[in-house]
Amino acid sequence: MVESVAEPRAAAPTADRQPPGLLLLAVAVIATCGLIYELIAGTLASYLLGDSVTQFSTIIGAYLFAMGIGSWLSKYLDGPLLRWFIRLEILVGLVGGCMAPVLFLSFEYVASFRLLLYALVGLTGVLVGIEIPLLMRILEHRYSFKDLVARVFAVDYVGALLASLIFPMVLVPQLGLIRTSLLFGAMNLVVAAVVLGRFAETRPYRRQFTAGIVVSLLGLGTLFVLADKLLAHTETLAFQDQVIYSKSTPYQRIALTRNSRELRLFLNGNLQFSSADEYRYHEALVHPLLQALPRARRVLVLGGGDGLAVRELLKYPRLRSIHLVDLDPGMTELFRQNELLLALNKGALNHPKVQVTNADAYQWVRQDTARYDAIVVDFPDPGNYSIGKLYSAAFYTALVRRLAPGGRLVVQSTSPYLARQSFWCVAHTLAAVGLHTVPYHLYVPSFGEWGFVLAGPDAQWRGDAGPLPAGLRYITPATIHDMLRFPPDMSEVPTEINQLNNQALVRYFEEDWGPYVH
Amino acid sequence: MTSRRSFLRQSSAALTGALLLPALPGCQPGAGLGHITGRLLGANAAAGHVLRDTSRLPAPTHTREVEVLIVGGGVAGLSARRWLHRHGQTNTLLVELENQPGGNAAAGRNATSAYPWGAHYLPVPDVRNAELLEFLAETGTLTGFAPGGLPIYNDYHLCHDPEERLNISGHWQEGLVPGLGLNPAEQEQFARFFQLIETLKTARGADGRDAFRIPLDQASTDAEYRQLDQLSFADYLTREKFTAPALRWYLDYACRDDYGATAAQVSAWAGLHYFASRKGQAHNATGADVLTWPEGNQFLVRQLRQQALAPLETGTVAYDLRETATGVEVLTYDVATRQSTRVLARQVLLATPQHVATRLLARVPGHALLPPAALHHAPWLIANLTVEALPQGPGRPLSWDNVRYGSQSLGYINASQQLLAQDSGAAKVITLYWPLTDEAPGPARRRAYQTPYADWLPRVVAELETYHPGVTPYIREADIWVWGHGMVAPTPGLLWGAARQAAMRPVRNRIFFAHTDFSGISIFEEGFYQGIRAAREILGK
Repeated sequence: MVESVAEPRAAAPTADRQPPGLLLLAVAVIATCGLIYELIAGTLASYLLGDSVTQFSTIIGAYLFAMGIGSWLSKYLDGPLLRWFIRLEILVGLVGGCMAPVLFLSFEYVASFRLLLYALVGLTGVLVGIEIPLLMRILEHRYSFKDLVARVFAVDYVGALLASLIFPMVLVPQLGLIRTSLLFGAMNLVVAAVVLGRFAETRPYRRQFTAGIVVSLLGLGTLFVLADKLLAHTETLAFQDQVIYSKSTPYQRIALTRNSRELRLFLNGNLQFSSADEYRYHEALVHPLLQALPRARRVLVLGGGDGLAVRELLKYPRLRSIHLVDLDPGMTELFRQNELLLALNKGALNHPKVQVTNADAYQWVRQDTARYDAIVVDFPDPGNYSIGKLYSAAFYTALVRRLAPGGRLVVQSTSPYLARQSFWCVAHTLAAVGLHTVPYHLYVPSFGEWGFVLAGPDAQWRGDAGPLPAGLRYITPATIHDMLRFPPDMSEVPTEINQLNNQALVRYFEEDWGPYVH
Repeated sequence: MTSRRSFLRQSSAALTGALLLPALPGCQPGAGLGHITGRLLGANAAAGHVLRDTSRLPAPTHTREVEVLIVGGGVAGLSARRWLHRHGQTNTLLVELENQPGGNAAAGRNATSAYPWGAHYLPVPDVRNAELLEFLAETGTLTGFAPGGLPIYNDYHLCHDPEERLNISGHWQEGLVPGLGLNPAEQEQFARFFQLIETLKTARGADGRDAFRIPLDQASTDAEYRQLDQLSFADYLTREKFTAPALRWYLDYACRDDYGATAAQVSAWAGLHYFASRKGQAHNATGADVLTWPEGNQFLVRQLRQQALAPLETGTVAYDLRETATGVEVLTYDVATRQSTRVLARQVLLATPQHVATRLLARVPGHALLPPAALHHAPWLIANLTVEALPQGPGRPLSWDNVRYGSQSLGYINASQQLLAQDSGAAKVITLYWPLTDEAPGPARRRAYQTPYADWLPRVVAELETYHPGVTPYIREADIWVWGHGMVAPTPGLLWGAARQAAMRPVRNRIFFAHTDFSGISIFEEGFYQGIRAAREILGK
């Protein structure tokens, strides 16, 4: 491989006896890599933070600015330039290659995701900015200045064109962002390896750098393989939109997707809300209950770890305390820390009136001794026997013991249209423990027809009690009135009572949904 | 697209495969059992066998006087103690050789869950069983009565749904009655059998009493039904043209489950009684429902025990009994302190299996206990397995009772069934029941006593593998319990022969008997009834 055995001059590395095209090819590769990193950062920012115009614009600006800093800094690099170049390629390979996995995986953990995003974009930009000036300095003895500039920039822009074409057409659809990032990181490493192998003057440090490159390649390769494992759960579910967050907790798999219009939360693949219309669901869940209780002070929320019901509750200044009990700390932490989700729930879970407890609702309700004026029950649909227990007569009996005199509760009761038996089974089960029930429903575009059951010690309330807070987008006295009417295709059907020893509701739910899932 | 994706995945995997493979969690074929911890437990056979050679026991160091001494702290003994206590006879002493009272309603507990080591459920009772209903009301299991008069049971004590599933060729169906792949002729036999049961449930004899009833001593004396005790259930079924293999498997399963004996070993009356005596009614449950607790019937045992304040000494063997001028003198031996006590009692209740009572009465004439060979007690194996996961085949999800069609064991119950918490994928304890009915009880018992843990474990694991292929790596703990005398089996002639009634007759108003051995059927209701019957005899009512 090595054509010359002569020791190179220490301070002035030459490429005189090297194939002239090799370094130009390197320019093409690193130019492609550089633009790919920029595109990855821009795409990731739009996926995770939304608003693609702003994200792309600011990412490109920051990236180009950082490249400028890098170009400026390149003049401070002295000594064996080829050695600097190889070192630089390894660094770019690692930083750029790991950019997408790091950003994806840290989205849930870091308090300020933007800071990390721009720090990584800046670092990559600086490193990439050093590359071309450094290469030009390496090549300066090989070509005349006008040739050098012409060739390097021509190749640079060709690389950029290539990158901008293959990124949307091949890389994102075929490999996804994480693997694209890793693949191009590996390319930077390959450039480092080829240069290391082809230039005789690299011999003194060849062994050391070879080891570094091999270890880095193995690292990126490992991530490349694991990327599938890490994201398999979310990507194979074939969500319609880009998955921007996914995590398996001991209780469920949380996935957050977004498109240009909305953010969607899925638990175990079931849609929990869409940011586009969740206000309809949560206003309907909370406001009829609170309207019925003009003197409510203490509220208990079971489930609802997204804090969206709590957001609605906080519109009542008269409430003194809101206690939210959700099974999964993975959910409540996500909705207490992530910027995007904080914007959605208006930081509800961090409000001083709100206490969050991560506990199993059934056990907790049986052990709790406090009394509440209002209880909001927002559990996942009764799709399995474990959750079915949280809709049982025994559970409601325990829940009634937690109601203050005159207190009421509301229960998310699935769809009276898609799961008609299930909906009425919830209503009948609440009635079976001695509550007066007021079933109601509304249309939530992303769910379809959805139903709730308000239950309390009397049947006084009919949507005409206290005032509603200002600024609601769906609930008005008139809509409440409409929600109480059930057309014939959703009207009451006879059902069994859901008991722990018959789990009638889970069986109805399976029957009701059967036609939709097969 | 998929193929390109998988190609990329494969090629990248190939690149780093060699490096990664050792780190990937995987299943080595033929995984060993080295990761499973556990031990062999069992009834305190060593203490029990003290009775075989009492000459080595120390002389009594002190004397104790009580009105009634109860020997044996199983359900019958505890039930008698409770009944005596609430009817004015509080001066009793109960001695039990095990460290925990309750007989075969034993239970254990580990970091994951409580679990049964034996009897583990009570069917929703017949509303006419007033004593039992009263007891259940005191335990909080029966919470009240609906306007129509039917009892309301505690939702947390009624077995939670899903209750039963049966694995047929790898597919889990709901319920234990085989339903998959039956031809019309077989279906007809099942339908005919259950029709017969419905008829027998309401049938009454010439004396006006129910043909089948719990406790069975309240059943009709009509020969039309009692003659069914003379032939085996298997012969009866053949005679009545119930020959479909699936039906016969199901009925054999039922006999092994309740009696620890096959349909060929129990009487037809007993085989039918298993089904036709289930007449429970409740406002919030059906007659097919059962009451259960993570610790099984140990829950009921604890309640029985708490309902009387009289002294109860565990780890204590009664080993010598003789009559005195004023009553009975019994020597007891405390296994822990290695001291003997002379107990002077006016009356003694032997709430022990008949073979133990026979030994104690070696020098007492006038009793009619059945010779040990006359009673069939199969040995039982029970395994409690802590599993991280159960690889699940298609069909119904994990239920309370999980059985495989054709299985040697009776399947397992999920001890965590009554837990209310959401399933977090945490470990579970499952309890495998296995009556050792392959050979006669005597040889089977001797073989079982000689089998070490290292031999039991592979058998238990192999059995569970037939339910959940690939489960072995997920088993964390496996404790095994061998019952030498699991329960009495109602062999032909036992229930309605004269000998059973004669055996429980008191001896000179001094020595009384109570045990499910005297019912011929070992279920909680019979033990509970036996205790009350004997207590009433003692109280002279």
